[in-house]
Amino acid sequence: MSLRELTKSVELDGKSLNILQPISLDVNASETIAIVGASGSGKSTLLSIIAGLDTPSTGEVYLKHQPLHQLNEEQRSAVRAKYVGFIFQQFLLVNSLTALENVMLPAELANIPNAEQKARELLAQVALADRADHYPSQLSGGEQQRVAIARAFISQPDILFADEPTGNLDTRTGLHIAELLFDMNKKFGTTLVLVTHDPKLAARCQRQVVMDSGQLTESSAESYDNQASDLANVAQVS
Amino acid sequence: MSTNTSLNSSGSQSVESSSKGNKHWLKHALLLLKHELKRGELTIILLAIVLAVSAVFSLSGFSSHIKRALINESTTFIAADRVLESSRPIAPDILTEAERNAVVHAQQLEMSSIVFAGNNMALADLSAVSAAYPLRGELLVSDSADLADAKPVNAPARGEAWIAVNGLKQLEISVGDEIEVGGSTFKVAGVISQIPNASFSVFTSGPQVFINIDDIAQTELVQPGSRLSYSYLFAGEPSAIESFEDWLKPQVNETQRWIDIESGQSPLAGALNRAQKYLSLASMLGIVLAAVAVAVASRRYSQRHQPSVAIFKAMGASKAYITKLYCLHWSLLSIVSISIGLLVGYGILQVGLSAMAEQVELDENYFAWYPFIVAIITGLICALAFAIEPLKSLVATKPLSILRGYQDENRKAWLNYLPAFVALFTLLFVFSRDLMLSVALLAGGLIVVGILLLFSRVLINAGRRAGSQAGKSWHLAMANLQRRAKENSVQLISFTIAIKLLLLIVVMKNALIDEWQQQLPDNAANRFLVNISGQQIDRVNEFLSDNNIVSSGLYPVVRGRLTAINDERVARRVSKEEDEEADNGRRGVGRELNLTWRASLPTENEVIDGSWWSEQDQKTQVSIEQGVAERLDIGVGDTLTFQLGSEEFSVPVTSVREVNWQALQPNFFMIFSPQVLADFPATYITSLYVEPSKKELLQDFLSQYPTISMIDVDALINQLRSVIDKVSIAVEFILVLVVLAGSLVLVAQVQASMEERERELAILRTLGAKGSLLRNSVLFEFVALGALAGFMASVAMEIAVYVIQSRVFDMTVSLHLPYWLLGIVAGASFVGFIGLLSCWRLLNLSSVTLIRRTM
Repeated sequence: MSLRELTKSVELDGKSLNILQPISLDVNASETIAIVGASGSGKSTLLSIIAGLDTPSTGEVYLKHQPLHQLNEEQRSAVRAKYVGFIFQQFLLVNSLTALENVMLPAELANIPNAEQKARELLAQVALADRADHYPSQLSGGEQQRVAIARAFISQPDILFADEPTGNLDTRTGLHIAELLFDMNKKFGTTLVLVTHDPKLAARCQRQVVMDSGQLTESSAESYDNQASDLANVAQVS
Repeated sequence: MSTNTSLNSSGSQSVESSSKGNKHWLKHALLLLKHELKRGELTIILLAIVLAVSAVFSLSGFSSHIKRALINESTTFIAADRVLESSRPIAPDILTEAERNAVVHAQQLEMSSIVFAGNNMALADLSAVSAAYPLRGELLVSDSADLADAKPVNAPARGEAWIAVNGLKQLEISVGDEIEVGGSTFKVAGVISQIPNASFSVFTSGPQVFINIDDIAQTELVQPGSRLSYSYLFAGEPSAIESFEDWLKPQVNETQRWIDIESGQSPLAGALNRAQKYLSLASMLGIVLAAVAVAVASRRYSQRHQPSVAIFKAMGASKAYITKLYCLHWSLLSIVSISIGLLVGYGILQVGLSAMAEQVELDENYFAWYPFIVAIITGLICALAFAIEPLKSLVATKPLSILRGYQDENRKAWLNYLPAFVALFTLLFVFSRDLMLSVALLAGGLIVVGILLLFSRVLINAGRRAGSQAGKSWHLAMANLQRRAKENSVQLISFTIAIKLLLLIVVMKNALIDEWQQQLPDNAANRFLVNISGQQIDRVNEFLSDNNIVSSGLYPVVRGRLTAINDERVARRVSKEEDEEADNGRRGVGRELNLTWRASLPTENEVIDGSWWSEQDQKTQVSIEQGVAERLDIGVGDTLTFQLGSEEFSVPVTSVREVNWQALQPNFFMIFSPQVLADFPATYITSLYVEPSKKELLQDFLSQYPTISMIDVDALINQLRSVIDKVSIAVEFILVLVVLAGSLVLVAQVQASMEERERELAILRTLGAKGSLLRNSVLFEFVALGALAGFMASVAMEIAVYVIQSRVFDMTVSLHLPYWLLGIVAGASFVGFIGLLSCWRLLNLSSVTLIRRTM
């Protein structure tokens, strides 16, 4: 995965607002990388562009050698179907499909054979074999996220994007989910791009980059941690 | 180009083909549909289409059944389904063609003829009928003059005659005696009690005599120059009659006239025409309501499915995949809904028909395909035209929405809804075959929507200001209304349209029924006295006042001919009109006219041009009826020349009158100022309302004056009243159906806003809002919305009623202020009630549950 001088700006009330300053970044295959930063720093925007959900204003983005910045919506869809898996903060399961059907979905969209069998195996791996026929509304938050993890791995994606995967969960469940995510990632050898504001979670990745006001800096987890506590102190003082 | 190259060059053709050739969309569509149906997520959309289809099915089915029942009953008024009137015998191939179409026929030849019995004679209305007469309705004939045992019969046997009671009296004969008609003798075998197609003309005063048509040659009455009227009666299955009609109608020449029950100016035809228009108006409103329901529901459908689409797309589904998936999903949903709608509609129709069975004789064997076809087409058009836009925006949902939230695509609203409007108009027009009505409904609707969009914003803003000083719940309600101004104006518009259409249908129903009742009040004239001589006037007046019998007043009648217009002889000019003028028993121009004179303008007459003469005005002048004036191109200022006996005189036309021919009273084409005709010998006619208890008295009185003829129109009035009663019941039932359809639109619309409300309630609950505050605010919000919609609906209704009354129904236009109150109060309470009811479950959920459901 490779970003070259990537920027994003939006028009707001006639004024141009720069969300991403020129960003360049390379991520190697099977690498795990955390993008950390405060709310509004632009990390979700960056993720949406790398994952091909959105397009950059300028610059280049390559995913598995595909120039996403040149592809249209349809072509980017095809790239996602083939190479990309997602885990979202809000789980984002299709409400009217069962857990099993949700897991099967990406496999079916990518025409991968034996989708059901694979989905059942994955559900077993996330310890939800007996909940396969339940709808998302019948599952707890943690269970829904486990379904989402199973779904993310079914098409054996080359790259997995996780956007605050533990953000909507309590600490304990969050830890459990993180455990599961990293275990499975290791098992499948997937490149993981993790967006989070949780320094502990970020620390589990091989690399951390920090987003601040649309600018990306390579950093260690500790430095972000310090930065975050500094910010907290400032907030308390004021 | 470059994108493709780069894709190919990186060796990933499989990426492109990964979503092509993928058949899972089929499975996904079915899966989603199955689960969503099971989980009740599609209930509202399903209900909307079911409602559309079932409402249209039951409305059109009901009106076509009622129409058929009414026409079946009404055909008795012309003794057939169709009649071809002619002044001479028709070509035999017409009858051959009728037989070929399985249409049965009968013949009736009518003329005036002197009938003798010993030394007595009477000018009789002679009917010679064929064996099949009458094809519809009953000819009742009794063995004796008291008519007690009258039985339905066809034609008299050869050599026999049937005669009306007044004929027996005038000729001083009884059953079994002989009468001479033309050159042959007939035995009186029965007394006529009821003739199905009796001509309703006060000027055909002679007794009715019926003989067999095979005897007519012997009477030698059919001679060159005889004034004869041939009626060829036809009846058969509707399809047979219609195909025969299609064949025959283009061949009808100027000496002939093709009559069905709806043609002509009879009171019945008027009532029927309007009833049918009302039924189709009601059904059209049903369609509009149904379409609104589908529009509302499909918008909600689209919004609800946006998250699923976004997830599918994020997972790599192509647009084509989503398009196929949702087209199938929606099509299947439509098919399921339309099928259920047909079943439900069939059920409603059966309930309605069985409820009506006591009042209206329904044809049990009648099975109409029509409602099925109309309902299916309505369902399809609604499902397609109204869903295109929401489906388009659904399919266009961006995958990024999963992170950024869902927005309505900024649609160029008006242009995008064009297919829907075109579809709706086509539907209305095809359904009603009435351009004016369709345009009135649609244009009215569009104008209303436009004005509403403006108004609703303004009013909601104004409400906010008023609300800010009026207590907490009210304030919250107004704040809610304003915050969701856009959604609310959509809601408001559909509420308004629903309420408007309901008001419209109520107002039109009441106006129609009122007018029918006015036309046939309980004391409508039921007897006409004709041929009263000048010397008898005082005695008649005395009798009427002694017995408190209400009359229309006495009208003098003098018979004369119109011979010239502005000194131009009219013989040729009017000869073409002869047959047309023979309509409805009124002798028209070219023949002798019944002329009258009068100082004051009769009731049911209105001067539309010129002015009526004053009492003091000594000038000779004439007032002419509008229809004749138009046909003969006569206007105020023209001079007409009349011939009475050997005398000719000319008078200027000083006014043109519009005459209500449907009123049961003597009506005239020409009314002269009193001076003109005073010297000519006149007879007098009048119409009376005679209570049943006074019928004997009148009979006794008239027995002293055998020259005065009495025409009994009780039978006609009773028949008419029964038809009108039935039409009224049908109209009421249709109203109930439309109200039901309208209510369901309101429910659908309220339901559509439930999800958003859920989220808000969760927030307010969390912030510690009390249950009563939330309940009141929801109630106030809906009450305000309902009242506002009721008010705007009333204004819109008034405009629509004006157009429809004046352009479509030819009724007197009036203002309906009490209905404004009804609209506002009913709107406020109904929308408030439905809103509160729909939210009740939400309002009573605990905060935790609410939050869990929505977050």
